Amino acid sequence: MWAYIIRRVVYNIPVFLAIVLLVMVLLRQQDPVPGLLGKNATQKEYDSKRKELGLDRPLMVQYVSLLNQIVRFDFKQEMWTQPGMTVGEQLRKAIPPSLSLTLPALVLTSLVSISIGLFSAFARGRWLDKALVFFAVLGMSVSFLVYIIFGQYLGSYQLGQLAGRPIFAIHGYEPGLEHWAYYLLLPVLISVVVSMGYDTRFYRAVMVEETGRDYITTARSKGASTAKIMFVHMLRNAMIPIITRIMITLPFLVTGSILLETFFGIPGMGNVLLTAILNSDFPVVEVFASIFSGMFIVSIIATDILYAVFDPRVRLQ
Amino acid sequence: MPRYSRKTDQRPSPWESLVAYTTLRALVAVVGLAFLVGCDRATATGSGKVAHLSMATAGPNTLDPVQGSTQYDNRASIMVYQTLLHYEYLKRPVTLSPLLLTQLPTISEDGKVYRFELKRNVFFHDDPCFPDGKGRELVAADVFYSLKRMADESNLPKGWWLLKDSIEGFDAYYEQQNDADEFDYDMPVAGMKVMDDHHFEVHLTEPFYRFSYVLAMFQTAVVPREAVEFYGKKFARHPVGTGPFRFKRWDTGIQIVYEKNPNYWEEYYPEDPGLEEDGSEPYPGYLKDKKLGFYEDAGKRLPLLDRVELEFFVQSQPKWLKFRNRELDYTTVPAENFEEAYVKRTAQVRQAFSDEGIRSHPEPLLDLIYYGFNMEDRDFGGYDDTHKWIRQAISLAIDWDERNEAFYNDLCLIYDGPIPAGLDGHPDAHALPHAYRGADLPRARQLLAKAGYPGGKGLPKLVFFTSRGGRNAEMAEMSKRHLARIGVRVDIRLVDFATLSDALRNRRAPFFALAWGSDYPDAENNLQLFYGPYKSPSSNSFNYDQPEYNAMYERIRVMSPSPERTRLYEQMRDMVVEDAPMIGSMGRTRYYLIHKHLKNFKPTEAFFNWPKYLNVN
Repeated sequence: MWAYIIRRVVYNIPVFLAIVLLVMVLLRQQDPVPGLLGKNATQKEYDSKRKELGLDRPLMVQYVSLLNQIVRFDFKQEMWTQPGMTVGEQLRKAIPPSLSLTLPALVLTSLVSISIGLFSAFARGRWLDKALVFFAVLGMSVSFLVYIIFGQYLGSYQLGQLAGRPIFAIHGYEPGLEHWAYYLLLPVLISVVVSMGYDTRFYRAVMVEETGRDYITTARSKGASTAKIMFVHMLRNAMIPIITRIMITLPFLVTGSILLETFFGIPGMGNVLLTAILNSDFPVVEVFASIFSGMFIVSIIATDILYAVFDPRVRLQ
Repeated sequence: MPRYSRKTDQRPSPWESLVAYTTLRALVAVVGLAFLVGCDRATATGSGKVAHLSMATAGPNTLDPVQGSTQYDNRASIMVYQTLLHYEYLKRPVTLSPLLLTQLPTISEDGKVYRFELKRNVFFHDDPCFPDGKGRELVAADVFYSLKRMADESNLPKGWWLLKDSIEGFDAYYEQQNDADEFDYDMPVAGMKVMDDHHFEVHLTEPFYRFSYVLAMFQTAVVPREAVEFYGKKFARHPVGTGPFRFKRWDTGIQIVYEKNPNYWEEYYPEDPGLEEDGSEPYPGYLKDKKLGFYEDAGKRLPLLDRVELEFFVQSQPKWLKFRNRELDYTTVPAENFEEAYVKRTAQVRQAFSDEGIRSHPEPLLDLIYYGFNMEDRDFGGYDDTHKWIRQAISLAIDWDERNEAFYNDLCLIYDGPIPAGLDGHPDAHALPHAYRGADLPRARQLLAKAGYPGGKGLPKLVFFTSRGGRNAEMAEMSKRHLARIGVRVDIRLVDFATLSDALRNRRAPFFALAWGSDYPDAENNLQLFYGPYKSPSSNSFNYDQPEYNAMYERIRVMSPSPERTRLYEQMRDMVVEDAPMIGSMGRTRYYLIHKHLKNFKPTEAFFNWPKYLNVN
């Protein structure tokens, strides 16, 4: 297995390097300096700023410099738009709020969607299945933004008005488990509702495929209970697509959710990344893109390893 | 790639049989519990008087005055820092008055020498940067140290242009020190003279009138050297000033919290001036201020609040809902909520809001929204009659009223020329008889034909740069439709602001849409936008360069307010209207809604140090 892992890591190094280079090239399609300098800047100030930011160096020199930072995990470079704050500090501050939002959302969505998918597949063709599919399609058809706007209005504002005290925060964030429900439960629930449509349909399709397999017929003929067939036999055999879907989602947990974070005032990575892109804060975007692509590659390799862990028929060679 | 091989005798492990069901039940229980915890969370805000203010951004970029440039940087840092001069809070039109000074600076006869006297017993905030953590007294050397920081490029200053070419020897100092290995703050500057700890002089190269306004701008606020050296680069996030509030914490992306400075020097709420002897108001709006209770706290020691929480909002809905939920003390009204709060036809606040005790305050901004031409563009620039007629025709085709109605609820002020309402040089009744204000299509078509392009035939496409965001795409489409009516074809380039700035800097944008908010209440600040030596990459994005205009600008910038200066402003304004490097203008009015528990709030966007006057019931 170790040989397999090392081989996959080596194969993916050029991919990683290419992604970082691509991000750098794309960012440099526009000159960030005029925006950073503000009004009335002179040519001298412009030149001086370019030099200070290292943008006067050839692209490959900047590229090597960035790789050097990444390899050494040196994220002490100061942000261009937030003097006094390093990229590392910003990431350390922004990733926990994002994870507080996305991790519970992923766990909850996966559990609920897999369960609904199981029931729906088992009741295939009956009214329960049709109703579940109907609601899943309905859920997918409504924009994320609509869920957020109405969710915030009804859940944070109207519910608070009815109760005579705040139930969920309209906007804001405080770290700590004791504040989690007040600030984050509503955004998590909105996220779950939005994702459930897509996930339920996916997991239902996976389970439906499993219900037609011979081992289900065998289990029935042997007198296994419905619960045992669903939660033991079917779930186990459907683990490969479930793992794939969840593992591919994992790197996105740190990116947070731009819409949820901006509407609910959660200072997570979605917010930070959006601001960094809009303000041409290259160091933040580059470091984050590097970390994200690294995590994505790792998650793909980890997925393959997990296949072997969960399905003994799989051999890593 | 993983390789699959089949194994037959698989037995389910015990955890697999329970995983989904049990975990789901456990999670439901946890979420339920968390919900209860959430429900029980009180809206604790601590003791004392607390104001909950808001800012429509993800937060300021910096709290270091010299690095700041935006309104957000200004609002966040001026809570902590103070300038030598400031504007009187209630008086309108805004008037300069001393803040850290005992009186306004005395100015020599030739207008070049400013003499200052600092107030005594003004102390910096207690902070670990000082010996024993006790803030020391403000002295004259601090003022010059702070001004010198604006020249030090390593501080990433945004306001050097405010002092450039102004103070004797300062430009040479700037060049010399920035070229040196280390910036020497102790090196003297000829035009900066310290007489003693509380007296100092500034010698200007010319009698620049705007210098007084510069001394009220937040970039020139006074900072202690100890704090800058103690915190280094982190100084941008650890402000230490002399202001009424101390910085408590900055929760990035959420809020900044300030607390009352217990050692704040003796500053008092403005006294009630009373009516003049002839029964007239001492300033316009005095009686209204009196009626609104703005003088109830007259003579009280500032600040009146114990804490200020400044929360950041990227989206307008949560800000609006928080205001409606009384979690914010005031709000500006988002366009999408305007009709919920106001009767559009009359712009009066709705009864339901009045019944809640919510007060409305419309505040006209020193605002210039315009379209601009690059005067160096081959097809649309130039000073000859043909190109002038083309620009005038385009100006006549733009329908500002439709734009105002469609995008601003018809609440903006349309006016001719580059000088906003309320400033010397603004046209009477906001209009000039000789202006090229649209929509006047017959005249526009006539001028286009006169220029040799009847019905726009043969005229190259007009490349129009505008920034993304807001409703700019729709506005650009509207402009395209307006111009199509006279046969002018438009190629819209919807770009992000950085690209727009780059295009302007490199003189690549033939036609563009921009806005300018005045840095200080003097039309000179708007008229400098057309001064030849300030062509791109500096502030003159039009690259307008008329020797006659330049000569007039050089005269007005050293003149005090006078009828003669106003006449020159008008001449310059008329030149700009006639040459048409810009099409405009429009100025917004910001609508504020204020809860009754917030006292003494008289909104303004000319200055931002007003939280010290606020009070809450």
